[in-house]
Amino acid sequence: MASSSSSGLTFKLHPLVILNISDHHTRVKAQNQHLSSASASSAAANGGDAATAAAALPPLPRVFGCVIGVQRGRTVEIFNSFELLYDPHSHTLDRCFLEKKQELYKKVFPNYYILGWYSTGTDAQESDMQIHRALMDINESPVYVVLNPSINHSQKDLPVTIYESELHVIDGIPQLIFVRANYTIETVEAERISVDHVAHLKPSDGGSAATQLAAHLTSIHSAIKMLNSRIKIVHQHLLAMQRGEIPCDNSLLRQVSSLLRRLPAMESEKFQDEFLTEFNDTLLMTYLAMLTNCSSTMSELVDKFNVTYDRHSRRGGRTAFI
Amino acid sequence: MKWPPAEPHSVEWTGEAYLSGPISSDQAGGFLLSVVDFINSCSGDQIRLAPDKFIQVCKRLKDQVMQLQVPLQGVALRTAIRKLQTSSEQLTTIHSDFLLLCILAKSYKTGLSILEDDILEVDQPRDLFLYYYYGGIIYIGLKRFRTALECLHNVVTAPMTTLNAIAVEAYKKYILVSLILNGQVPSFPKYTSSTAQRNLKNHTQPYIDLSACYASGKYSDLEAFIQSNVEKFQSDNNLGLVKQVLSSLYKRNIQRLTQTYLTLSLQDIANAVQLKTPKEAEMHVLRMIQDGEIFATINQKDGMVSFHEDPEQYKTCEMAEHIDSTIQRLMALSKKLRSIDEQISCDPAYVSKIGRERPKFDFDDFDSVPHRFI
Repeated sequence: MASSSSSGLTFKLHPLVILNISDHHTRVKAQNQHLSSASASSAAANGGDAATAAAALPPLPRVFGCVIGVQRGRTVEIFNSFELLYDPHSHTLDRCFLEKKQELYKKVFPNYYILGWYSTGTDAQESDMQIHRALMDINESPVYVVLNPSINHSQKDLPVTIYESELHVIDGIPQLIFVRANYTIETVEAERISVDHVAHLKPSDGGSAATQLAAHLTSIHSAIKMLNSRIKIVHQHLLAMQRGEIPCDNSLLRQVSSLLRRLPAMESEKFQDEFLTEFNDTLLMTYLAMLTNCSSTMSELVDKFNVTYDRHSRRGGRTAFI
Repeated sequence: MKWPPAEPHSVEWTGEAYLSGPISSDQAGGFLLSVVDFINSCSGDQIRLAPDKFIQVCKRLKDQVMQLQVPLQGVALRTAIRKLQTSSEQLTTIHSDFLLLCILAKSYKTGLSILEDDILEVDQPRDLFLYYYYGGIIYIGLKRFRTALECLHNVVTAPMTTLNAIAVEAYKKYILVSLILNGQVPSFPKYTSSTAQRNLKNHTQPYIDLSACYASGKYSDLEAFIQSNVEKFQSDNNLGLVKQVLSSLYKRNIQRLTQTYLTLSLQDIANAVQLKTPKEAEMHVLRMIQDGEIFATINQKDGMVSFHEDPEQYKTCEMAEHIDSTIQRLMALSKKLRSIDEQISCDPAYVSKIGRERPKFDFDDFDSVPHRFI
């Protein structure tokens, strides 16, 4: 079902689509959980074992929708998406709802065409081919975007796969099967800002400066960690290539060398100067803050000491005379 | 005088052997050697269990050394201090004796290792006064005026219920050193005891007048004033320091010039500062540049001096490390301060005084700034 696509089309996915799908899924899940919360909580109360509690929960619902975008030549760029009604008995999407929505979206975005559809789940299934075929009269080669909603912390990449349909001859019968396609993520500036914002949503009582600073620093730390591990991977790969364990891949080498050629911007003296100036400025500010802190503690201490031990201490306007 | 091996019974042995009356001068040499040996080889833990006898031994040593006029042999006291201290922040009675011997021997550098430690615990106030007074003198001898000022500052602002002579002497030197260093005498900070604030100035009148004269900035006036009071300064053993105050007046005036002019000719400098020749002015400016007190360049061809800003750009790694280490020290200090603050807040004396003041308040007398009472 999932071999590599050979159509030669390049797919570009915008993060808005991913967010939309995930949002759709979360909303449906939340509504379902609310309805079945009684049964779930009673199951969880017995034993508290995570496995049994998970088994008692209803399976993750599948949501369906349509993706729209622009196709220019060999590039398919998926910009947006919207939800669709799914009929679980006939395994089809509601056609007139789709057409109504398509009309509305055409008014706002005249350039966007229906490029395909999306769903949640782990992999493309057989029943999906039906839906896929149904869409083929709108777009002769629709794409199928799948989002895997289960959270897997060890997995570093996005749980999004794009499938195309291809006619393959299997056992003498030409069949339409799903083949996996490669895609890249494409962002517009506005999208980048909003994705960043969503990624850093904090709890409502995290308004104080300290927690914001901690959150900011944690995100920088994790970003640096990721950068570090990726550089290590590339480095080890290059070393293995040098030792001859892996066949030399020239295009990879070219990419690595172009990356490395960007580095000298950091070695210049101007960079060092500015970097150190800014670093020292921040240090000085910390120093100043600490000094102020210390001085105020000291001042309070001295006042208390004077009150306690100096018999004739000056009242100095802090206390009132009768 | 033979003595048994030191480890098991250092304490009892000291009790018997050394406090047994005056020692004749021929025995004295041997006495010194054996005491020094003892100090070097005794065990610190045992000493800390019975400090008084050990302190008495050290005092005998100091008296003998001073009597025989060989203060340099008292250097063994440095090891004695290290053995007696429970931590490097504790002040013992031996500290001030050791510093006194260093001063008498005129070897200031030996005292430095002890002086560099910050002191955070004190038993006897008299120790503190003497220690910082002698410390101040040592630093003055080493021409490290800034640290000397800190030491003397500690003496002047230490809590005292009655005025003592050490503080008076320290205040005299304090005035002189702050004139040399900063050109002015700062007013008392609020943690000075009220006894000090009220009485110190009465006993040091000539020095106060000296600082007033210094503030006027005229070399000739200052010189005349010093001449007229030379006996008073001499009797306090401060004449050397006073002469340094006089020569620092030039530096002060030249520094004042940097705030007005960007470039100045050597001749003008000489006139402004009341020096006789431009050569002397050049010498002074050169010395100040070397000491890092001003930033300037002298153009030899036309005899012009141009003053600059502090060239420190704070762009170097060393500066970053320096600031970082200062921040670390400050954090440690802040922790200590906070713990002392908590201790004093729970102190029953403090709480009772605060409690007593409360019922006297009349609401109308409150000013709008909120006060904290605990």
